[in-house]
Amino acid sequence: MKTDEFLRQVTALPGVTGNERAAAEFIAKAFEPYADEVEITPLNSVIARKKGNGPKVMICAHLDEIGMMVSKIEMDGSLRLQSVGGVDPRVLPGMRVKVYGKDEVLMGVVGATPPHLMKEADRKNNYTFETLFVDLGLPACEVEKKVRIGDNVCFESRYVELKNGRVSTKTVDDRGCVAIMLRAAQRLQKMHHEADLYFVATCQEEIGSYGAMTAGFQLDPDFGVAFDVCHAETPGAPRMYTSKIDSLVTSKGPFLHPYLVKKLEEAAKENNVQLQVSIDPRWTSTDADDLSLVRNGVPTVLLSLPLKYMHTNVETFDMHALEEGGRLLAHYLSAMDASWEEELWN
Amino acid sequence: MELKELCLLNGVSGDEKEIRKAIMEQARPLCDSVKIDRMGNVIAFKKGKVGGRHILFNAHMDEVGFIIMDATEDGMLMFRPVGGIDPRVCVSKYVTIGEKKVKGVIGAMAIHLQSREDMKRVLPFDNLYIDIGAKSKDEALGECPAGTYAYFDTDYELFGDGFVVSKALDDRVGCYNMLRLMEETYDADVTYAFVVQEEVGCRGAAGAGYASDADTVIVLEGTTAGDMGDANKVQSICDAGKGVVISFMDGASIANGQLYREMTALAEKENIPHQVKRGATGGNDAGAYQRSAHGKRTCVLSVPCRYIHGPSSVMKMSDMENQFALAQAFARQAK
Repeated sequence: MKTDEFLRQVTALPGVTGNERAAAEFIAKAFEPYADEVEITPLNSVIARKKGNGPKVMICAHLDEIGMMVSKIEMDGSLRLQSVGGVDPRVLPGMRVKVYGKDEVLMGVVGATPPHLMKEADRKNNYTFETLFVDLGLPACEVEKKVRIGDNVCFESRYVELKNGRVSTKTVDDRGCVAIMLRAAQRLQKMHHEADLYFVATCQEEIGSYGAMTAGFQLDPDFGVAFDVCHAETPGAPRMYTSKIDSLVTSKGPFLHPYLVKKLEEAAKENNVQLQVSIDPRWTSTDADDLSLVRNGVPTVLLSLPLKYMHTNVETFDMHALEEGGRLLAHYLSAMDASWEEELWN
Repeated sequence: MELKELCLLNGVSGDEKEIRKAIMEQARPLCDSVKIDRMGNVIAFKKGKVGGRHILFNAHMDEVGFIIMDATEDGMLMFRPVGGIDPRVCVSKYVTIGEKKVKGVIGAMAIHLQSREDMKRVLPFDNLYIDIGAKSKDEALGECPAGTYAYFDTDYELFGDGFVVSKALDDRVGCYNMLRLMEETYDADVTYAFVVQEEVGCRGAAGAGYASDADTVIVLEGTTAGDMGDANKVQSICDAGKGVVISFMDGASIANGQLYREMTALAEKENIPHQVKRGATGGNDAGAYQRSAHGKRTCVLSVPCRYIHGPSSVMKMSDMENQFALAQAFARQAK
């Protein structure tokens, strides 16, 4: 499957943390042509193996997405929402959302009290989950039949192609990086690799990397390669925490293994892939943090795809950066061999 | 022409070309004359079977939207609203810009990078940008020069129990009903005024009112329904699903008392579901007509719209039908 087609389809699927089955099944299928074995774990992570005789490597990017759950049905039929992961309520007013109800997917509109009916002081505040609701256009008695407390609610999803190969859609965090893994797996079909490769699309990252932790335990890898998104430059955002949108980023800091980072920089240089560097003095807030601590530790490297407007329905990335990520990953994995183990602490 | 097509056509105040063209084409075969006046309004006239009385129906063609002001060095478009838009409904929305329909999104700084104060603070238009993927100021302004109008890019969707969600329901619903009204010939002469620039101060209606010798003006509008969620019940002035809204007064005009009572009596007589607007909020073209030339009797018939002036206004189809039914009943009895 072509990358943009894969992204178009996979980003439209629901996969709010804790309920990732639909996304997991789709991703498992997409990896099948390029893997020797594919499985879905009990928590809904997808593991696709490309066999090799060298070191065992776990490459991971998460497939879950931030979203919401129905927490209450009000007397007027409106729904109150509970956020799952870091949802910014500022993006919600006027958004069309999908409510994954009992037997059907319902479209709802996120409503709020109109500004001219608010006190002047309240107009200066953002809407919050307490003051927003979902309007299904149904009376409460009908809503009660179709929607249950705990049902998932997903952002509106469109795949918008902007100028210069930039694309805006939901859940690029982190299915954009799942797409990078898929691209690398496709490329590796025609490349030599010694390493025993496990591409893992992890679940439950948004609430604490539980998918990476458990898949890591199951696989017990020698090395870890974690993929996630990072912040691209936007107006007003602090420069220290942002990168240019047009190329991938690797991180340096105590949680990332210096030898693996060095080899990654070498692979980028050899293959003419642009690679930015970001410094993470402590947490990276990605699967890398937990993967690197599985069992008695996994030397891990982190690669990030810069993204504007993270955790919204208009997450925006550069398709060229994503494609280059697939190329870099394939070359990096292809270069890994048993000698790396010897060199780790030299 | 279906309501869907009317809603999805673009026409921010001052940029009504696209919607005007479509309405002209629809009105031409149904009316005796269809003209564009000095303001850009479409004035359609249909001679009555009897004549003698001349009434005017009014709906505004324009919608709220945006206009491009400038671009940042890294290619983000700076913009301002045209008409009343709460900046809080703009974050993370899809837009199209200009006749070329350039695609863009309105982004804002990610939640991770916000301070606690940022999270509370409403992002003003100064801090909102349209991202079209441009890499530089020149590229951005080359595609979308300052002065280009921009639009919410949304779908028109039916949902729930007979509801519809779309941009621009205010006031394409009025335009839609007027196009239906003109399919019939009434006893009285009827002018159908599709006016511009309501959202920036009822400017089109002022010109149309000056030029018309109609004695009675019926304004077909969309008005704010605050019937869902947490709106104070005292301030909530009408409910979606409870019929056409008849105003005794609003922020811009007081309905002609006799006409208002005739209208409510007519709705009673014809069994048309209706509600009286429970307050005087909002203003519309009636204010401009009432004060134009030698003055005109006005009455406003509205469809309740939730979340008006945003990308996703919501109304119940039955309310639109009831607006049509009452307007038609009025036209039929006007002699």
